[in-house]
Formats: sequence, C-alpha cells, structure tokens
Amino acid sequence: MPLYESTFIVRQDMSPQDVEKIAEKISNLIKDKGGRTFKYELWGLRNLAYKLSKSRKGYYVMLNFFAEADFISELFREYKLNQDILRHLTITVEKLSKHPSPIAKRDDKVKVVELEKIPAQYLEAEIIKVADAA
Amino acid sequence: MKRRNNNNNRQQSSGNFSDFEGQNVPVVRNVFFKRVRGCPLSDEGSPKIDYRDVEMLLKFVSERGRIMPSRITSVSAKMQRRLARAIKRARILALMPFVVQ
Repeated sequence: MPLYESTFIVRQDMSPQDVEKIAEKISNLIKDKGGRTFKYELWGLRNLAYKLSKSRKGYYVMLNFFAEADFISELFREYKLNQDILRHLTITVEKLSKHPSPIAKRDDKVKVVELEKIPAQYLEAEIIKVADAA
Repeated sequence: MKRRNNNNNRQQSSGNFSDFEGQNVPVVRNVFFKRVRGCPLSDEGSPKIDYRDVEMLLKFVSERGRIMPSRITSVSAKMQRRLARAIKRARILALMPFVVQ
C-alpha cells in the first residue's frame, strides 16, 4: 500500500469550519476503504498565484495518508464531484517527515492535525547535526 | 545564491615580450572567467527540494516566472530535474505562477 500526499484547494466562499469538515470527510472516506490518514494540514486562505475558477484566493488542505492503489481513482472521483474543491494534486511519497510542511513552518496560522502516529518505517531519516568539537 | 565572480580586475597575462620590443603587441586577456562552483542544492546543509517551499523555489525562477537553466544557477543535473518537477507541481497548485505579466 503506497503512501500518498494529497493537496486540494477549496473555494474561498466557504468558512474555515466547512473546510475542516471536508478534510474530515475525505479522511473518513480513506478509513472506510481500509486506509489510514496520518495527518492533515489546513493552510488556510491563501492568495492564489493566478485566477482559478474566477477566484483569487482559496483554502488549502493537505493530507498524508496510506491507502490501496485502487482507492485513488475513487478519491479523484470524489474530488471531481465535490463542487467546492477547485483543484487537487496527489503524489506518491516514500517517506514522511515528522516535521510540518514548509508552509506550516513559515505561517503560524496553519493548523496541523495529527490523527495517527507515523510508523517508523515511513519516517524519513533525520539528519542529526553533529555538534562541532569545541 | 552565490554571486558570479566577475574578474574585471584581472591582471593582464605577463608573457615574455622582450622579443617584440618597439612594436605594438596585442594584449591577451583571459576571456573565460571562473564559474561559481558547486550545486547549491547538493550539499549537506542545503534546503530540501519541496514543491511546498515556495520561497526557496522562487530563487531558481526568473522574473518572468520561467525556470532558470542550470548553466546560470549551477545546479547539478539531478537536482535540476527534481527542481523542475517541484516547480511544475507548485504551479499546478497555484502556489507559483506560470507566467508573470
């Protein structure tokens, strides 16, 4: 079962609570099909680099999950049917890092929700900086 | 990003001009200046290429939003491929523009 990272953009007309509900709905969908969601991040309302569906801002949501390869086509169908989701991008990752994403590091308002602890086999090896000999 | 080492103050190559005394000698100047060494993304402490790290990706993109060739940024081939992939993903997610007008 491969590890996925899926990011999608929600319309700016929604409220932040609705956006979180969408994230939870997708997360439950993953669980129903036998996958596991490790964490999701809500990057909040951001300016888009170009006009997307006539809007210049959107809510970004990022999910890290673990699912069957067959499930992905169902996920895309869900994204396509949901009219609130403007765009999505799902990639396969080999390992996850336990640190928050670069967007979360730079912005304090980003909400990181950890649902499950990432098992060690999927964690990226940490580069431990060796202290300089004094 | 490392700045280019423009050797404008390079000394003119001093050859043995004693044979040409009294004549006009064309001066040879070294036209090939040194390139900035090393890929900025391959070393140990360098930032990891991530499509979500827009600030880092913007350094490798021109003012117009186009991806800069590696002969200018001196990025290694392997990292340039990863960088291009990350920039294209960021563009799809509207984190970076395709074209800056």
